[in-house]
Amino acid sequence: MIWQQLQSLAGSYPLALRGLGMTVMLSLISLVLGTLLGFGLGILRTGGNRLISGLIGAWVDLIRGTPFLVQIFLIFFILPEFGIELDAFTAGIIALTNLAACFICEIVVAGIRSVPTGQVEAALASGLSRWQRMRQVVLPQAMRIVLPPLVGQYVLLIKDSSVVSAIGLTDLTRVGWLVVQRVPNGLLVFFLVGVGYFIVCYPLIMLARRLEQRMGAAHGEVQL
Amino acid sequence: MTKTGLAKTGMIDFRGVNKWFGTLNVLKDITLSVEPREVVVVCGPSGSGKSTLIRCVNGLEAIKDGDLVVDGQRLGDPATNMTQLRTEIGFVFQSFNLYPHKTALENVTLAPIHVRKIPRAEAEKAGRELLAKVGLADKVNAYPAQLSGGQQQRVAIARCLGMRPKIMLFDEPTSALDPEMISEVLDVMVAVAEEGMTMMVVTHEMGFARKVAQRVVFMDAGAIVESGTPEEFFSHPKTDRSRAFLSKILRH
Repeated sequence: MIWQQLQSLAGSYPLALRGLGMTVMLSLISLVLGTLLGFGLGILRTGGNRLISGLIGAWVDLIRGTPFLVQIFLIFFILPEFGIELDAFTAGIIALTNLAACFICEIVVAGIRSVPTGQVEAALASGLSRWQRMRQVVLPQAMRIVLPPLVGQYVLLIKDSSVVSAIGLTDLTRVGWLVVQRVPNGLLVFFLVGVGYFIVCYPLIMLARRLEQRMGAAHGEVQL
Repeated sequence: MTKTGLAKTGMIDFRGVNKWFGTLNVLKDITLSVEPREVVVVCGPSGSGKSTLIRCVNGLEAIKDGDLVVDGQRLGDPATNMTQLRTEIGFVFQSFNLYPHKTALENVTLAPIHVRKIPRAEAEKAGRELLAKVGLADKVNAYPAQLSGGQQQRVAIARCLGMRPKIMLFDEPTSALDPEMISEVLDVMVAVAEEGMTMMVVTHEMGFARKVAQRVVFMDAGAIVESGTPEEFFSHPKTDRSRAFLSKILRH
């Protein structure tokens, strides 16, 4: 029986590859967009405008405090009620990008706040504009703090992308659901699904670990 | 240039300046004028407001009331471009505040390249000359973490000079240094003073004050208590508070 199941699984190979491709595509696009947006939000959050900072803070709390599944349903099922039709892929990208941006915003804020005020004062005193201070002085130093948790967050977000199968996107998780209907061995099928995610995430886990070690080693050199 | 409606002013002009931190009156009715090319040493006990005083000059601290006119421009006036004014004022910090991710040369050239828009090659040439001038020709490519405190502070002074400022402010520039490194920094400061820089220096280095300062200002509890030539101040302090202060710092 197991032999038959394995044969049948081998036949699902193209579908599995498509699912993996969808998961990678979704993750890649939303992580790139989410990183850009997250840095933008983080910079604005620390920018000194209380209204903007407060609004971003409230939004980040809202997104962090509600289940991702609920967010996806809201975007996919509720927005059309207001005349905004989205295909599942776009809805998935929007939801994942938003989630990524909110978590990354918090990481960036922590990084920016870790830069000693003396650094900003020195940049201020030499006449650098606000953007120059950010670009030349604050962000390069914040990156040391930001990078390891940022890569760690990527891993979490790739796994969160499995939730988009709920709105019918044929990602790796949904492929699992489809295959298990033909091959009634949930343990085997979802073990393989798990392996698929692990293959994508493991290099990032290794990268995060290396970055942490490098930062730890370099930490003694940081002038405070 | 902002018309201030005031008579001809000095390079730095405090007129009845007050500042509070919460309910604490950290600057009390400060009136002080620093002339072009003048070197003024500000001293006083810890917490007397001397750092706050010079931090007001380049707007790192905002004043509450009174007038502060720097290089003809009134601070807090909407017509005053603070970022522009800051390019004319060098500020040397107690804790150096060099950019740790940039080399000595990059620290010196950052603002000239990005603020003054000087071509990189030209800025680097000038930067190397400045680092040579402060005795660090061989440390051009060193990162701050690879430099001693005294060397870092000399890079910080070169960083200010790179902007060709009209005024330089020093906030306890030698207080964070090991004793054997103090003189190398003071020597550079003396050289800068002798070139005719307008300077306000918060320091307890009385040798420096005697050598280059035209005036010593003594502050206590947010107010200027006494002001005079270094000779007058050190030899014949006029108030009990300045006598008590001097006896403490000159005891060792």
